[in-house]
Amino acid sequence: MRVSLNWLREYVDFDLSPEELAERLAMTGTAVESIEHLGCAFEKVVVGRIKGIKPHPNANNLVLCRVDVGERELQIVCGAKNMKRWDRVPVALVGAVLPGGFEIKKTTIRGEVSEGMMCSEMELGIGEDASGLLILDKDSGVGEDVGKVLGLEDTVLELEITPNRPDCLGMIGVAREVAAITGGKLRIPRVRFKEESRPASSLAKVKIADPDLGPRYVARMITDVSVGPSPLWMQRRLIVGGMRPINNIVDATNYVMLETGQPLHAFDYEKLREGKVIVRRARRGETLLTLDGVLRQLDESMLVIADAREPIALAGVMGGADSEVSSGTRMVLLESANFNPVSVTRTSRKLGLLSEASSRFEKGVDPNGVIYAADRATQLMARIAGGKVLRGAIDVYPKPVPPKTMGLRPRLVNHVLGTDLSLKRIAQILESLELKVSKPVARDSKLEVTIPTFRPDLEREIDLVEEVARIYGFDRIESTLPESGEKRGGLSPDQRIRQRIKDFLVGIGLREVITYSFIDARHFDKLALPEESPLRRVVQLQNPLSEEQSIMRTTLIAGLLHVLQHNINRGQRNLHVLEVGRVFHPVPSRPLPDEPTMVAGALTGAWHDDQWYGRAKSVDFYDVKGIIVALLRDLGIRDWFSTRAVHPIFHPGRCAEVFVNGEVVGIFGEIHPDVQAAYGLPERVAIFELEEAKLVSQSDLSRHFGEIPKYPGVILDVALVVDEKIPNEVLEKAIRTWGGKLLKEVRLFDLYHGKQIPEGKRGLAYSLVYWAEDRTLTDEEVKKIQDRIIAKLRQQLGAEIRA
Amino acid sequence: MKSPSSFDEGDFDFCGNNIRVSHLGVEMSLRSEIAKLRKEVRGELKKVSSLEELDTLWVRVLGRKGKLTSLTRELGRLSSTERPTVGKMVNELRQAFETSFAEKRRELERELRERKLEKETLDITLPGKLPQLGGKHLITQIIEEVIRIFIGLGYQVAEGPEVELDYYNFEALNTPPDHPARSLQDTFYIRRKGERPMAEDVLLRTHTSPVQVRVMEKTKPPIYIIAPGRAYRHDVPDPTHSPMFHQIEGLAVDRNITFGDLKGTLEVFAREMFGGERKVRLRPHFFPFTEPSAEVDVSCIICDGKGCRVCKYSGWLEILGAGMVDPNVLENVGYDTEEITGFAFGMGVERIAMLKYGVSDIRLFFENDVRFLKQF
Ligand SMILES: [Zn+2]
Repeated sequence: MRVSLNWLREYVDFDLSPEELAERLAMTGTAVESIEHLGCAFEKVVVGRIKGIKPHPNANNLVLCRVDVGERELQIVCGAKNMKRWDRVPVALVGAVLPGGFEIKKTTIRGEVSEGMMCSEMELGIGEDASGLLILDKDSGVGEDVGKVLGLEDTVLELEITPNRPDCLGMIGVAREVAAITGGKLRIPRVRFKEESRPASSLAKVKIADPDLGPRYVARMITDVSVGPSPLWMQRRLIVGGMRPINNIVDATNYVMLETGQPLHAFDYEKLREGKVIVRRARRGETLLTLDGVLRQLDESMLVIADAREPIALAGVMGGADSEVSSGTRMVLLESANFNPVSVTRTSRKLGLLSEASSRFEKGVDPNGVIYAADRATQLMARIAGGKVLRGAIDVYPKPVPPKTMGLRPRLVNHVLGTDLSLKRIAQILESLELKVSKPVARDSKLEVTIPTFRPDLEREIDLVEEVARIYGFDRIESTLPESGEKRGGLSPDQRIRQRIKDFLVGIGLREVITYSFIDARHFDKLALPEESPLRRVVQLQNPLSEEQSIMRTTLIAGLLHVLQHNINRGQRNLHVLEVGRVFHPVPSRPLPDEPTMVAGALTGAWHDDQWYGRAKSVDFYDVKGIIVALLRDLGIRDWFSTRAVHPIFHPGRCAEVFVNGEVVGIFGEIHPDVQAAYGLPERVAIFELEEAKLVSQSDLSRHFGEIPKYPGVILDVALVVDEKIPNEVLEKAIRTWGGKLLKEVRLFDLYHGKQIPEGKRGLAYSLVYWAEDRTLTDEEVKKIQDRIIAKLRQQLGAEIRA
Repeated sequence: MKSPSSFDEGDFDFCGNNIRVSHLGVEMSLRSEIAKLRKEVRGELKKVSSLEELDTLWVRVLGRKGKLTSLTRELGRLSSTERPTVGKMVNELRQAFETSFAEKRRELERELRERKLEKETLDITLPGKLPQLGGKHLITQIIEEVIRIFIGLGYQVAEGPEVELDYYNFEALNTPPDHPARSLQDTFYIRRKGERPMAEDVLLRTHTSPVQVRVMEKTKPPIYIIAPGRAYRHDVPDPTHSPMFHQIEGLAVDRNITFGDLKGTLEVFAREMFGGERKVRLRPHFFPFTEPSAEVDVSCIICDGKGCRVCKYSGWLEILGAGMVDPNVLENVGYDTEEITGFAFGMGVERIAMLKYGVSDIRLFFENDVRFLKQF
């Protein structure tokens, strides 16, 4: 809503600069988006003092004036009658350009030289009065710029009106708000005009066929209009308000809409068949050529204004071209109506047609404001288009909406706000907003508040509490903290573990990323997922922004590989990323999907860049395995194992699943070379994806002190050459089993193939740590166990022992 | 530098005038031998420059065939009256030698180590061996910071689904059915499979506020929670819009919660989050699920309220929406609105990150360029 402050001052006085007013509006709930300073619309118009008036020798209706404009005296020929000697008036000097582009020249009128022009309000485009010269205040300085003297420089505030305040979509509503917050007095223009004896109802008939969609319709008839440009002051205000002047009739409707917030429409009466106006739903197949020149297909959900035969306007949205007011129009039927906001919204959305009128009706317009708006527009049409007003307004209003009354307990105001406002102060605030407040009986009794229908947002007691808070000032309410002693802040045990998981993974060098929850379905092809893969069963968006963001992810791997690709394309090499986020799996019988949180990582390149102290080694399967083992250890998960797994995303020989207490918690390994190629990744990529909830439920952060060995242990190494098909796990397990309870640790420290090792075999070297809780072990004792292990490895696993 | 026990110091005790001259030649010769040896060894020791030379000298003086050892043997030739005196002199000389040799040894070893250490001197300007550095996303860091502050104020952390029912996202939050936020232009909806009644409309939550309702449905007051998480809006990405973003919702519901409590809480938060001298102001606004509602500004963290480009020369930055929980919302979950009041607030995490760290484009958060991520 664009608000001219000059215009606003017609309705309310305030003693604030534009910036101060903007601040006060902002602090009471009306955001000001911009403050725009406008210059004056004319130049070289100065204050002149009339020093003498004498008749024009050659013309009865003209006079010659001697006018002092400061530096010199001018002779000006003038036709006005309202001025007298010593009056101060605006004088357009030679060379001045008045609004509308009219340039003042030195001329000779009926033989007398005229060196300028004395001006009316109308001629300066600053008011409605054209009956005579604009007589300026006595203290106006002779020779001074009239624009400056009259304060024509205007300022426009662009207000952001929230949807709950449709009343502020008109100047009067804004003025009412300004009056409340500044304490100024509100002045609503009084409407008076002469009516002909012939009643409007003798020409026009109005019928509402669908009162739910069109609750009220007021029509007035104005005849004998002469359609032409509207006065400059009106055009100027429309332009400042963001509208385009069209002609005096249409401009009057728009002017009153800006003034009152009530959209109006003027029909060329003679185009209406049988003089009928019917508010009804459109019929299937009906069309309407709207004012913007587009032929609209209508349907039964749309409300139209029709004449005896067919639609002539889209109710509350736009008029029809056929009944448009044009230069030939002589009789005007003025519509001031109320339409159902939902219906207008639906129609305007359906047709993709937004207008100043529809945007106001969408937000709701006061049904009891239609008469005032109709009369105000009628008054203006009579004045600026010379129209004659037929008697009476035709008002069809089947179910009048009365103002509501509700109670307000002062106790509630203070209970919610934490204030101690008196009943009197509360009443005073509400009255400043033009709400009627009954005199309270006792100190703690309810206030009876009557809500005018222009404030449909005030429906409940709490709404009045808000009004009090707003006008009293949020800044004046004292800051406190909740008193409750019962609250206890903190993370839950599960939340602490989840935090620990992320802390740990970041601590060992992973970089957290956040990727979109919606992804491109084509990721599944890149990931080589078969049609029947459960990961392809997705939650789909009905209205995605694009195909690339149309389904909810079922795995974090797609997003992580995309991050690797994105960074590699930008010249990065060694990447180690982590994401903790939700995936979405539809559940057949329920409206909402499952949303498990996954913990996933992706590594490619080396852990480090090559350095002066050594070249970096590329990451592989064992890097992610190490991460997972370390994480499980940190979470106190002891009962876990991993098994070889087959998964389409992964390298067939480099993939494993992690089991904790017999339940799968996730998968890890290197991605399949085809997947790697599909994402354009130059090096191996190792990834993992674990289900957070399972890690959390299996974690055990309780720790118990264990005795530190008092007696020295013995470390013996053993190097084996075995069939390469025998997994390390089998060998380790065998060593442990045969080592007995004195063998405390088995650690693989070397793995080798090569010349000394026969084809099909491999060498593994383990370090075995023995110790006892209660004594120092003897060499013989340990040797005996070691020999037993070696013998068993030989016999049962065909191991060859190397020294 | 020499210690008092060294034989040089005792020089006068042995060769001074007070030493009585014996009538016997043996004694005389022994005494002079002692003096000579002392002098000789002192000179030799000074010349020693390595541990090997020191060892050689040791053998020559104190070894089994060493000079001092030979002198000791000479003592047998002395009379029983002379022997103790000269014997004592020899012993003292031995002790003095041992002390001096030990000291020389320490000195040589120290020199040796110093030379060795000097050789080990590094170019300390070579790069260090950096451990691999990971790090949390800036959004996570901010969420954790906010959580920390509110935990200190007695809050717990709550969560809810990102794919949400219309009921929790709009209806229970007092948003009318025709509210523009519910349109396909503003909200992502989930495609329905088969026929499902409208009441079960499913969408991507547009804020984390539905968590409020879910918590209140299950819990009796007092409730003090914050709910961080992802939210989604149908916005085409540009420098200030993203279809996915993060929000932190706060809710306090209890007996006698007031608007003043809301102000006080947000002031504490703003000072903890943005620094001690931050001012906070609340401007009336409209939200469907709070009343009174406010937009909350903090004095600009860039210019300290003086006015700059970031705050559009207003001195204020809008960081939060807040208000008193609408009685309708409390009634929807069955609370007694005569007794129970509450406040709620919500903040955009990306916006806070952008303001606090000067990030110029919201899309950077989800592009995950590591050169961006590593800056925080
Ligand atoms: Zn600033």
